[in-house]
Amino acid sequence: MLEIITPLFLMLIVAGTFIGIMFGAIPGMTATMAVAVSLPLTFPLGLENGLALLLGLYVGGIAGGLVPAVLLGIPGTPSSLTTTFDGYPMSKKGEGEKALRIGIVASLVGGLFSLAVLYFFAPPLAGFAIKFSYVEKFLIIFFALTVLAALSSDMLLGIFSGVLGVFISLVGTYDISDGGNGKLRLVPPGTEYWLDSGFSLLPVLIGIFGLTAILAQAELGMPKELDAKDIHVGRRSTFSFSIFGGQITNLLRSSSIGTFVGMLPGVGGSAASLLSYSYAKTFSKTPEKFGKGEPAGVVASESGNNGLTGGALVPLLSLGIPGDSTTAILIGAFTLQGIQVGPLFITNNPVTWDAMIFAMLIANIAMFAMMYFAIRYFALLVTVPKHILFPLILMMCVIGSYTINYGIMFDVWTLLIFGLFGWLAVKLRLELAPFIIGFILGPSAEVYFVKSLESFGDYTIFFTKSWIAAALWVLIIGSLAMSIVLAIRAGKNGTQDG
Amino acid sequence: MGAWTQVSIDFETSHLYFPTLIGALLVVLGLAILLRDRARIAGAGRYWRDVFAAMDKLRFFGTIVLTVLYFILMVPIGRIWPNTGMGFLLCSGPYVLLTGLLFMHERPWRQVAALTAIAIAGPAFVWWLFTGPFFLTLP
Repeated sequence: MLEIITPLFLMLIVAGTFIGIMFGAIPGMTATMAVAVSLPLTFPLGLENGLALLLGLYVGGIAGGLVPAVLLGIPGTPSSLTTTFDGYPMSKKGEGEKALRIGIVASLVGGLFSLAVLYFFAPPLAGFAIKFSYVEKFLIIFFALTVLAALSSDMLLGIFSGVLGVFISLVGTYDISDGGNGKLRLVPPGTEYWLDSGFSLLPVLIGIFGLTAILAQAELGMPKELDAKDIHVGRRSTFSFSIFGGQITNLLRSSSIGTFVGMLPGVGGSAASLLSYSYAKTFSKTPEKFGKGEPAGVVASESGNNGLTGGALVPLLSLGIPGDSTTAILIGAFTLQGIQVGPLFITNNPVTWDAMIFAMLIANIAMFAMMYFAIRYFALLVTVPKHILFPLILMMCVIGSYTINYGIMFDVWTLLIFGLFGWLAVKLRLELAPFIIGFILGPSAEVYFVKSLESFGDYTIFFTKSWIAAALWVLIIGSLAMSIVLAIRAGKNGTQDG
Repeated sequence: MGAWTQVSIDFETSHLYFPTLIGALLVVLGLAILLRDRARIAGAGRYWRDVFAAMDKLRFFGTIVLTVLYFILMVPIGRIWPNTGMGFLLCSGPYVLLTGLLFMHERPWRQVAALTAIAIAGPAFVWWLFTGPFFLTLP
């Protein structure tokens, strides 16, 4: 363990956290984008050092979103949406600095809570998952896709997006190393040379999370940044830790909700903070104050969305299934170093596992130290000109895509294809998180499904293989039932609202 | 259960088995969406007209055109000085500058000068970092 804690390792965590906060604090840029465009940097750094940088970016990026949410009423990242509900009214009352500090402390608690859950929960879950055969592994992926569908804003479009991701991931050769027959499929005539191995994961991710976001901003005409003199942090009300005296239950409940939501595949931080916020409001003695500058609202939102960070790593490191879009990109870092994440990851890579836990811990502490003591300076980040940042990010996207497979220009075109696809998908109301999770899990789903049938020769094996398979079907049916109930409720609410 | 649940996958055609199932599922889901959202799909023409009317066309399509040109030019320019990453270096500077100018709302000379300096220094630093210490190939 001690051998990995080098000055470079620590510096990368701190630098990653700092850059992550910058990405989170600038509206239009997200933690996911930060991790996506920084992936190529991890290649020469090695796995542990690379992960130190990426985990710092992840923690910093999620926490940084609270800065514009409080000061401008614009969520820096989607997961900070509910922070605007009470943070911005507090800012308008001259309590901006107080709201920011409340959010920073809540972010730290949420982050550390979820880290503890990751540390204690992922190894036993992985130990249990080692017993899984191809049948159970396929059902786990199927379960992940049904959960994605259940929690999508539109169930049908959510399922379609996930299945589309699986379909596109199958383009190319049915790999011999996976037990396939080495033949091409779904490749249009004339493109065999480029699509022999299908679309590379990382250019797809960089395109969807880097280029798509910039195209969306270009479409809006690159909204102008504020001038520094327009940022009012406010000094009227000072922050004190006594504010948290009556918020312990809220903090723990919201952190737990965030962590749990993080464990569900593909469900982002916005769901975590929305659920935490709505529970805080429901259980509050003064729910009427929510939305008008209630500190409990900021506590719930920020502890909820930072609770996601550790939670999302639980299914990734124990089952190989990413918990959200940012952890989906982390798979890229493992792929770059030739390491497969799954049930055997923690057992086979104890040093990397310890490094990740340590990096998350330091990243949370660094995030707190930087933001708590220098929040006035971070507040100025919302004024950073995008006309300088975005071209540089586009350039980094190109480097990332080109270097991922040691210099293949088609990967750069893949970045453009999927950047445009991402923009179009948003317009068509398709969901990008299920698409990406489907794209990542598709090849494994194929191997597990086909090999199960080749071995047993009967579809019923998916129901009868073991008690684990039966239990997974209960969960699958439960998530499908939940998605139908949610869809009916949403329909009823829509009718009433209309 | 019965013969209808039994399956035998021919290894020679096994590469098509799962894609066919997923493709069929996509078609079924697509039809379900078509059926449910038929009214919205019928009004798609107006939706897209609204999207294009509200769009900043110059910045949106300008970004795409500049990016396509950047990608197209990088390789032939790189071939003039093979294995040096010069295609990336020589194309990235103008790309950062032109995209930055496109994204700016006003173009006072101070901001343009700052952008020009970054368009020269940024790609040069990244080129040095990746071809030097990181020892990675660039176009």
